[in-house]
Amino acid sequence: MSEANNDKSVQEKLTELSELVGWFQGSSFTLETALDKFKEAEALADTIEKDLTKLKNDIKIVKKKFDSEN
Amino acid sequence: MDAVLLSVSDFVDLTNQTLEYAYPVVQVEGEVAEFKVIQNKWISFKLKDDRALVSCFASVYQLRTPLENGMKVVVVAQPKLNDKGFFTLNIKAVKPVGEGSIKKGFELLKAKLEKEGLFAEERKRSLPRVPKHVGVIASTESAGYADFIKIINERWGGLQVDVAHTQVQGTPAPDQMIRAIRYFNSLEELPEVLIIIRGGGSAEDLSTFNDEPLVRAIAESRIPTLVGVGHEVDHTLADMVSDVRAATPTNAAQILVPDRQEIIRAARAQANTVGNLLTQAIDNYSRQTKDNLEAAFMRMQQKLDDTFERLGVLRVAIAQLNPENVLQRGYALLRGEQTVGATLEVETFKTIITTEVTDVRSK
Repeated sequence: MSEANNDKSVQEKLTELSELVGWFQGSSFTLETALDKFKEAEALADTIEKDLTKLKNDIKIVKKKFDSEN
Repeated sequence: MDAVLLSVSDFVDLTNQTLEYAYPVVQVEGEVAEFKVIQNKWISFKLKDDRALVSCFASVYQLRTPLENGMKVVVVAQPKLNDKGFFTLNIKAVKPVGEGSIKKGFELLKAKLEKEGLFAEERKRSLPRVPKHVGVIASTESAGYADFIKIINERWGGLQVDVAHTQVQGTPAPDQMIRAIRYFNSLEELPEVLIIIRGGGSAEDLSTFNDEPLVRAIAESRIPTLVGVGHEVDHTLADMVSDVRAATPTNAAQILVPDRQEIIRAARAQANTVGNLLTQAIDNYSRQTKDNLEAAFMRMQQKLDDTFERLGVLRVAIAQLNPENVLQRGYALLRGEQTVGATLEVETFKTIITTEVTDVRSK
């Protein structure tokens, strides 16, 4: 997995994975590069799993009070 | 003690001062009668029970739910004696009470907002599939809020959740929620979704979400809204006007974020798909190569067969030309001069005969 992938959001990684599937089904497919692309897809799936497992939500209570106009 | 002599105006003022001191605000429950809207600005009606009635007066802006004669309501009001000697309740707030009246108020407001197109499908905006930043309006002490947070934490991560704590029932609740909606809509960086949640409750508790200004504030929100109030069977105008309705706060969390386990499974399935596509591609290439080799072999075989066939024809032709075959059919080969007295050699298939020419004639 390249370092650039670490900076990407899960959503971006999911999109990238879908694009890889698309590449395999598209006209740009060549057997010579297919193995590298396959390894890339497996690595992406691993990172997505790791990212999703470790990510926590950041929940903050707004300080502003809403019981009056001010 | 002698009674104090007052002018009429002073008496009215004194009465109002006494009333204000004794009853700054009263809550009175009764049935609406003689309801009137005056110049689209003011409303007046009588509040009555079996024995008595009292006049009520308010501006239309203070009416948060449409009223109709016969509805049972509680008014929050200030008692006042006006300069013309009429005693009135100056309304601060009015809300229907009892199942029938709450339902009636709901139906009246629903019809009004429906006519304005506030519930139209074409107004509904879709929510982002995976939001990064959302705003939540809820009572942080409620079970509904706890359920919502529990489910989003189970399902997803990396989400920024800003929570505005407000009351979600009682008279101040609608205005607090309206302020919270405006607060989120005024932020420089808008949340991608605004979620309003509240757990189950009585029809009266949930009637907060049928408040006209609150419903309008939800409709006007620049941020797409997701409203999950009460249980599956509860319907409020707030959830009808929202972009997306959730049946419960838990359901709101399920709608808001995908389940990380499902996403992981989907990512794994995609990687497997890629693997299968690769295997399939290798199989296709192998099959294609095998097919090509087979086709080449077939072409060579065909060529060989053609050559052998041609050779066979030639062999037959050559065989036909072989003199031995002619001799076999009974013919003979004659060698020597065709003159009388000459010696001739006659070759048959099996013998060679030497003979002498005794006569030569032309045919």
